[in-house]
Amino acid sequence: MARASTKPSSPFTRIASAFRCLLLLLIIVMAEPLSAEIVDQVPRILILYPYDEKIPATTIAGETLRHRLQQATMGKVDLFSEFLDLSRFPEKVHIDRMARYLSEKYADRRPDVVIALGEEATGFIVKYRHAIAPDAKIVFCCFSSADAVKLSLPSDVVGAFSEYDIAKTLLMARGLQPEARDLVIIGGSSDFDRSWLATARSDLPGPASGLKTTYVEDLTIDEFADRASRVPEGSIILVLTVFTDRSGRNFIPRNALERIAAKASAPVYGPYSTYIGHGAVGGNTVTFESVGTAVAELALDAIAGKPIASVNVPKTFVADARELTRWGLPESGLPAGTVLSFKEKSLWEEYWAAIIGIVAALALQGAIITVLLVERQRRLAAEQEARLRLLELVHLNQSATAGALSASIAHELNQPLGAIRSNVDALEILLRKEQPDLDLIRQILIDIREDDQRASDIIVRLRGLLKKRSEIDWQEFDLNEVVNSAIHILHAEAGQKSIVVSSSDPTRALPVRADKVHLQQVILNLATNAMDAMVDAATTERKLVFRTALIENSEVELSISDTGRGIPSDQLDHVFHAFYTTKPTGTGLGLSIARAIIETYGGKIWADNRAEGGAVFRFVLPLAQHG
Amino acid sequence: MTQLEPIIHIVDDDNSYRTALARLMEASGYRVVTYGSGEELLANLSGSDPGCILLDLQMPGLSGLELQDRLTEKAPLLPIVFLTGRGDIKASVRAMKAGAEDFLEKPASREALLGAVERALLRSEIRRAEHDRVHTLQARLDALTPREFDVFGLIVRGKLNKQIAYELGTSERTVKAHRHNVMEKLGVHSLAEAVSIAERLGLLDLTAKPSDDAHGAVRRASP
Repeated sequence: MARASTKPSSPFTRIASAFRCLLLLLIIVMAEPLSAEIVDQVPRILILYPYDEKIPATTIAGETLRHRLQQATMGKVDLFSEFLDLSRFPEKVHIDRMARYLSEKYADRRPDVVIALGEEATGFIVKYRHAIAPDAKIVFCCFSSADAVKLSLPSDVVGAFSEYDIAKTLLMARGLQPEARDLVIIGGSSDFDRSWLATARSDLPGPASGLKTTYVEDLTIDEFADRASRVPEGSIILVLTVFTDRSGRNFIPRNALERIAAKASAPVYGPYSTYIGHGAVGGNTVTFESVGTAVAELALDAIAGKPIASVNVPKTFVADARELTRWGLPESGLPAGTVLSFKEKSLWEEYWAAIIGIVAALALQGAIITVLLVERQRRLAAEQEARLRLLELVHLNQSATAGALSASIAHELNQPLGAIRSNVDALEILLRKEQPDLDLIRQILIDIREDDQRASDIIVRLRGLLKKRSEIDWQEFDLNEVVNSAIHILHAEAGQKSIVVSSSDPTRALPVRADKVHLQQVILNLATNAMDAMVDAATTERKLVFRTALIENSEVELSISDTGRGIPSDQLDHVFHAFYTTKPTGTGLGLSIARAIIETYGGKIWADNRAEGGAVFRFVLPLAQHG
Repeated sequence: MTQLEPIIHIVDDDNSYRTALARLMEASGYRVVTYGSGEELLANLSGSDPGCILLDLQMPGLSGLELQDRLTEKAPLLPIVFLTGRGDIKASVRAMKAGAEDFLEKPASREALLGAVERALLRSEIRRAEHDRVHTLQARLDALTPREFDVFGLIVRGKLNKQIAYELGTSERTVKAHRHNVMEKLGVHSLAEAVSIAERLGLLDLTAKPSDDAHGAVRRASP
């Protein structure tokens, strides 16, 4: 930055570098919100953990606390955590070193509030507050007011007291096990453990309560477990804390309890919520979550400058439903208001939100599916309706075509009938002769049979022309075949109009998939149009040509060309529109029906004029991929 | 009149019907020639024999009616019996007006067919006889000199010799001589006979002017 601004240069460059400076500054400010000025506005809170980070009690309290602080200040808080590790390093030299270290570490960033979790951390900070956080408000938690007295805290140090009442834990145990005769109390060998044992001895009722009370202490963890496994049936086992066993091994108390409870022959109780889920049936406790929340409120008040005073964290009964089941203890024996964990909730209780969500989603999905189905149904019905309409239209068109061609078809039918008649007449005369020419007679009979077949074929074709379809009769067939049958039908009409009909020699079969009758109808429509177009042409010039072809191995084409007057070029696009007609008697529907049919079968149809005069109509259809 | 057996010409594009009809006619004792189209008939028809034509009305190419028009010139002596697959009133009226002998609908009965053919053949003979007669008369008429022809045209219109002489700007005597020659060359003995010839050859068109038209008509009629 400095280099940029001192570089001598043109005014423009100077402005540019000034701008660059500004930009750089802006970036630095934005990228590092922890710049000196801003940090001053954010309260610094130092959280002191007495042990290491693996102790669930302080960890849970600490996490709850951090979460609450972050949430209440909307993140505008600077949190520091320090793990004093006083359980594993209780030596004075470590404590002093820690104090020095923190004093130096926080020399430039003195905390505004120090939160001490537990009595050891509280004692530590009270002792070293002048070195580490001289102006800070000190807030503590996680021990009882009785312990606070022992620490002889200064009056400005306030906290959230956790008043453990081991008698209430026993009360819970007796509520669950009214028949119990023995009480076994287990505690470890650390100072904390021993203080718990002392508390128990003073707080718990003596043998007068009807329970034979045994204190089990000064044992290794395995001995504790072994002892627990041999207690009389129906006993109550109360585990206080085991931070350290007789051999000096350090434990996380809940892990110690877990090992003891695993082998225990009777239900195990304990005064900590962290024991739940590790083998304890339950107990009366201050949950570390509520401790964390309580101390956080104190810290927040301290930051806000409000006067604060010590509070008691409310106690709750906690229990593990799985352990109740394990020991066959009735849920009804629990004190009122017990927080029961690991209860196998009914599906509804556990997942009601998810269930409502899923049901709602399913209902919505169902509704959408129903709507879509209804829509689809309607669309199908409409399509069906449209298809039916088209089929009806096609049939009307067929009838019209049949009507127009009927005269010539009748004529065509009269040919074989006339031939049969004359053959029979001839036969009659021949048979009257003395020596009839039998060869001729045989030939005449053959011809009669052929003509009969011919007449019958004409009728079959006519019937095909009049056949009514209620649905498409899909078939695969050779396009050439339909062209030929259409030519047969048109033959007489063409003859009457002196039109010469020709068709290309098919080089190969051209399979298409469609309704034969429909395609024939298209061809007849195109061909009758073509024939009508040639009425003005000289009789020797009237030619109707059918040509089929395969295009790129994927489509088949039929072209029908005439030698008529052609189509005005500006009308080429209109001829397929409904009601377009140039004939006084035409409906103008023939070509539009032809197009509808061709498009139904995935094809295209169009018209053109031929260079040599006359029009040519073509359509293409997809080639059927036959196996 | 003629000793030649008549020929039935059958023109139909439908092979099977044509064959069947030919068989019936042959079985009935006629000579038959068949043609697949009007063009084929026009190409192969030899005009001299008597007979008739059985003609299909609807054929590709040259239609029956068009063929009839051509045949009026090429074979005026062959009566035409039309056969049609459909009752087409317009076509039948046109055909009959153009001189068709008959108009039958397919499938026609044997009686109808043979009846029509017999009538047509009879008509053919009559036409042929008439034609021969006219031919003979025409030959005689052609023997007249132009002057004699003029005189003839006036005689048959009932003009007197005096009037003729006046119209032709000649003497009554000369007219008389011409008249004599005319009667001689035509082989007639009375005015009535001469008038009959003129009428038969179509020279008595009353609406036309006598001299020019009479002459023109004759020239047209000459072979």
